[in-house]
Amino acid sequence: MTAAPVGEPDPRVRLRELETLLEAFAGHALFRLDLDGRVAGWTPMAERLLGYRADEALGRPVAFLYTEEDRAARSPASDLAAARESGRTEVEGWRVRKDGSRFMANMVFAPIRGERGEVTGLAVAVRDVTGRLHAEAMFRGLLETAPDGVVIVGPDGRIRIVNRQAEALFGYEREELIGKPIEVLIPERFRDRHDAYRRDYARAPRIRPMGIGLELYGRRRDGSEFPVEISLGPLETDQGTLVTAVIRDVTEHREQEQRLQRQRDEIMELSTPVIQVWDKVLALPIIGTLDSLRAARLTEGLLQKIADDQAEIIILDISGVPTIDTQVAQHLLKTVQAATLMGAESILSGVRPETAQAMVHLGIDFGRLRSRSTLRDALRLALRILADRAGAAQAATGMLRGEQGR
Amino acid sequence: MTEIIPILRIGETLLISLQGELDDATVLRIEEQLTREVARTCATGTLIDVSGLTIVDSFIARVLTRIAGMIRLLGSHAVIVGIQPAVAITLVELGVPMGHLNTALNAEQGMALLRRLRDDGDRSD
Repeated sequence: MTAAPVGEPDPRVRLRELETLLEAFAGHALFRLDLDGRVAGWTPMAERLLGYRADEALGRPVAFLYTEEDRAARSPASDLAAARESGRTEVEGWRVRKDGSRFMANMVFAPIRGERGEVTGLAVAVRDVTGRLHAEAMFRGLLETAPDGVVIVGPDGRIRIVNRQAEALFGYEREELIGKPIEVLIPERFRDRHDAYRRDYARAPRIRPMGIGLELYGRRRDGSEFPVEISLGPLETDQGTLVTAVIRDVTEHREQEQRLQRQRDEIMELSTPVIQVWDKVLALPIIGTLDSLRAARLTEGLLQKIADDQAEIIILDISGVPTIDTQVAQHLLKTVQAATLMGAESILSGVRPETAQAMVHLGIDFGRLRSRSTLRDALRLALRILADRAGAAQAATGMLRGEQGR
Repeated sequence: MTEIIPILRIGETLLISLQGELDDATVLRIEEQLTREVARTCATGTLIDVSGLTIVDSFIARVLTRIAGMIRLLGSHAVIVGIQPAVAITLVELGVPMGHLNTALNAEQGMALLRRLRDDGDRSD
């Protein structure tokens, strides 16, 4: 530094080297103050950071780097006093460059001692930490503008950070939650298990949804519950691995899902009507594409109706089915088989030429299943079968009577 | 199991009604008992009512098909009646081959079917 003792061969050169090394290593700008707090030494790094040349800075009280408000609050004097009395002192605050711009400074004051241990001045290291502040501000901004509730939990399972949405979701004030175990936000019946889950997560923390396949619930301050979806992520910090939980209220989503399911059920029922067209004859007009779910419903409904009406013949009309592929044919075949097991005979109707071609090309074997091209023909066949049966029965009774009469 | 399953005889027809839950041993005993009874009585038809069965698994289904086959070999006909909707769906889903089985909705229609089978059989003989 400029005030270093003269006499040795070029000790100043050596000192400057050391200062440069130090600045390069620590990223600090260095300068020196005398006992009164006036600048006694100035380095190129200090000039670069603060904008003052050495000749402008030397001899001025350190307060010239502080903001007006800090000067009014006598901060420079108290910082100096603290450094003189208790040794190394670190402070953070806004400082002002020569051009008037402000930056967040991390300042370290360290006493310089003479041969007898008396304090002869102060070394000051200044670092611009505005960037860190930016990062923090961005983090806060993100946290508060996120549409979801965010709760950050420490390795001890206690809540460290809560955003506004989480306050609103759970009905707590921020101050009430900080430091509390995360379990206060979980319904009582899940609390025991949660501890183990939390430890499992700590062993392999990664970004993932919580409780895959489970229905999760949050617990409000008033004890009421609401369905949630939670996404977890680790946050590495100097305080250990924190866990971020992003919480979304899915009440509306679940209700919508249920409404959709109800509508789907209704449509399903509407789309598979079973009609009694004659005594002991049921018709099942199939309209639209047959998927597994619909086929299962259709079969169930049909078999129940067979049992209820004691129907002997069912007509499966497929004129409303746009395309018959292997899967649709399999479904139809199963329906026919199940009806046969119950003792009802099936007739296929409404087979269009292209459908017939497709079925033969696909190699679908409908076995003994009888088929007609129109519903009218199918009904006629059904009535003839019934008539034959009735005729056979009459003939049998007649024969029995005849035998008895003999 | 000492439970006895009654086999009723109406004219040339035998009627057996299976109830409740059958264990494998009982099912096998029915198989033996029924075929022996068909041979002894020279019945032309057998009606097996399964509407009272709470469970029809693939084992029972296979034995029923077997019984029907044996009865056919004895020159008689077997008709299974009263398969419930849920049972029918289960058997189809399990893929139990029951294609050759004669089935009817209830005992009355079963009797009618037996009559038709006898007539057809007599004609083709």
